[in-house]
Amino acid sequence: MSVKTLDVIRKRLEERPDELRRARENGLKVVGWVGYNVPEEIIHALGFIPVRIAIGGDDRLVEIGARYASSKTCVFIREIVGAFAENQDPYIQQTDILAFDATCLQNYRAAEVIEYFFKKDVVVLAVPRNFHLDEAKEYFAHEANEFTRLLEERAGAPLDSARLAESVALYNDIRKTLKSIYTFQASKDNVISWEEVYDLIQAGDLLDKREYLSLLTQTLDELKERQHHPVIASDDGDCRIFLSGSLIPRGDRKLIGIIRSVGGRIVGDDLWSGILPHLDLDIKEISPAGVALGYLNRTPHAALPYLDLESDRRLKKLQERLSEFKAQGVIYHTLRYCDPFTFKAKETKNVLAKSGIPLLEIHTEYAGSDYEAMKTRVEAFVEMIKIKSEIAEEQGVLVDA
Amino acid sequence: MAITSPFSYPEEIKDKFIATPGLKFKDGSTVSSAEIWEFMTKEAPRRFPYAFDAGANNMGRFSDDVHFLSGIKRGYLTLTLKDRVMKQHAAGTPTVLVQGGQAMDAYYAAGGIPVRPGLVMQWARNMEEGLSLRQSETLGLNILESGRRKISIDACNQIAAHAAIDNKVVPIDLIAPFLCLRCSDMSFLVETHRNRVHDIPRYLVDYPVDHENKPWAAEYIAVELRELIDKIAALSGRKITDEVLFDEIKLENRGRRIATEIADLWWGAENPPTNSTDFFGIAFLANDFVGDPVAAVDLLEQSKKEIEERIQNNVKGFGVPDHAKRLFICGSCVGPNAHHAQTAGAIFVGRDDSWSCISVPVQEEGDPYLNIAKSMLAYPYEQRTEKRAEWTADMVKRSRADGVIFMYQWGCNYQSGVARMISDIVKERAGVVTTFVEVGELGRSEATEQSTNRVEAFIEMV
Repeated sequence: MSVKTLDVIRKRLEERPDELRRARENGLKVVGWVGYNVPEEIIHALGFIPVRIAIGGDDRLVEIGARYASSKTCVFIREIVGAFAENQDPYIQQTDILAFDATCLQNYRAAEVIEYFFKKDVVVLAVPRNFHLDEAKEYFAHEANEFTRLLEERAGAPLDSARLAESVALYNDIRKTLKSIYTFQASKDNVISWEEVYDLIQAGDLLDKREYLSLLTQTLDELKERQHHPVIASDDGDCRIFLSGSLIPRGDRKLIGIIRSVGGRIVGDDLWSGILPHLDLDIKEISPAGVALGYLNRTPHAALPYLDLESDRRLKKLQERLSEFKAQGVIYHTLRYCDPFTFKAKETKNVLAKSGIPLLEIHTEYAGSDYEAMKTRVEAFVEMIKIKSEIAEEQGVLVDA
Repeated sequence: MAITSPFSYPEEIKDKFIATPGLKFKDGSTVSSAEIWEFMTKEAPRRFPYAFDAGANNMGRFSDDVHFLSGIKRGYLTLTLKDRVMKQHAAGTPTVLVQGGQAMDAYYAAGGIPVRPGLVMQWARNMEEGLSLRQSETLGLNILESGRRKISIDACNQIAAHAAIDNKVVPIDLIAPFLCLRCSDMSFLVETHRNRVHDIPRYLVDYPVDHENKPWAAEYIAVELRELIDKIAALSGRKITDEVLFDEIKLENRGRRIATEIADLWWGAENPPTNSTDFFGIAFLANDFVGDPVAAVDLLEQSKKEIEERIQNNVKGFGVPDHAKRLFICGSCVGPNAHHAQTAGAIFVGRDDSWSCISVPVQEEGDPYLNIAKSMLAYPYEQRTEKRAEWTADMVKRSRADGVIFMYQWGCNYQSGVARMISDIVKERAGVVTTFVEVGELGRSEATEQSTNRVEAFIEMV
């Protein structure tokens, strides 16, 4: 039996572009944002409607994007550029202002290309590479203030501290509710799938935030009604896959579909299009700098380098989540020319191998031509994990006997 | 491999050459022109035969203009890089991997030798001597492939330098480049060194993007520069004071000034006084100083005199075609083959990447750390792309270029991403034709037809 609120959310998503159009007719402005460290609360508190621009899976748009950027730009960014070139995406059509961060430098390039070729009003938030140093945080605080100033100019009003506090509280509630819902997808009596939760998280990129929180709360209530105490544990014979690596935005469900089709069960992710950005966000001070630093202090995006393996919080977070969600294997998704994640694939595999977690890297594009090849590899990986579990189970039985 | 006879310097120029001054080095030593002649005509052809391959596809081929004597000394500095760096390294001078296109003042001042990825690969290939061009290229490609196998097929050719360090082909003591400057791969590649057996120390100097009118960006870099210099000084044992830094800044500023003056002279000349190889080779000395700023500046001074004489006497550089089409080159890490372009009737008159670094001197009074930071943030190449393109258009006009070629190598995300944008803006602002070309064969002299054809067709169109 499906979760009823999810149907409501799907319907609201269908209605959302028209709703945005009407809101703009009434004088509101839509800010489309792209990146990992864009402090969305600031956009919200300034009275803008924030909408995350994250689309994928369309090879045709990738090809169009390459005409303006290049064929060596990552697939995701190429599609974004292509979507702006084509201007058919209902959310892109409704954006008045764009906010990009420079966490990934290709994102920064996309901002420049979109601003120049498609005459969009773009605001950029620079992000320090040495993000862990005090001087970098000081630099980023300045950047956050500047980013806010540029948005204030466009809003025609200064940022109100009380409204920022309200936005922070609202977003904190959203994050907290999402985290609670996320636990259910990995539980033994699978009342909601990871795929449904993933769609639910991405719905928040587009829907009105207050309504979104209300819908999340309803979803959580429904889930609690069905399962009072979700226990994260394996169902008999399931193959528990954790998804890591490059983002998987709306429109791109190739790999996710393949995993399910070959009998794998995704039980967790650390994708920046998934739950990860909602974790560990602790805003200590209600100010633009305070909000931005909250973002910077989360588990960082792979584009921000850690020079020492031991200090790498990304890897630590991945290991924590694997253990928490009782994952048996990692499928590490890398998009063509998404260097921040691709360059770490082999290293991540080696690190996880030490704790007996196998990792399969799937390096792909948005074309459908590699579908069968991907399917074969994922199927073999899932089969391998299942056999490994069966052997472990048999050995356990023998030991018990 | 060489079908043609190896390149050699003719005996008839020997007397004239050895009558010119030699070169001074930072350790106080000197080399006479007679010694340089001996090296370039006897020792180097034996040790580095690949460099003397006269095939047209040899990207590193020496200039045919043997009468431009500074060009011979430029070749000497290139081919002695390995010996000089190894000797200094053995004496305790730390070697530091840096980024291309960045100021080197801080590194040299702290007592290190900064080497960018291109120089690392040149050095790595020279570690094995007696190789033909094909053998040398195969060696380089093997290093490149070992890096790609270890990290990713998506990495640009810069990965070869990191593999050369990983594989201990060359000794590097510190990996400490500027980030974000011209390249997005660098930060990820530096990060890959963290899980290697030989744990080479690492440090990053963050270079903020979109830094216009943001004083906090320079302050951030200045703090990082202090840390960088401390790290190098800890390895070199050198005591760093503001005075030491300013001495280096003044020396490198002199190099930058001379290179700029050479460019102005060259652009103003009725006939190009040197061919593309010599022009770029000399100017580039003020960009990375080939391991020795004293020698580089010395050679820049000698080159300037020689170019002035040529202009006075209206001498055209050997190999420069009559009514040559003047091309301005954009992009990093790769450029068109100068010999092919000359054969097709063109000459290169400038390059945005290296000119960017050269065109911004460092202030010689005040806080040297902040001054270096400010100068780096002023690099035209590192401004917002639209602003960078406007500067490029200005350079195109000043150099009286007839066309612009933007080149980038396979796997380059950061420059390739704005190749069309820059080409379009320059076309509009400077009123010249532009094109952009991806190069897949960097480091090889075979299968170059794709890029050669496109460059030649462009020249024909110009």
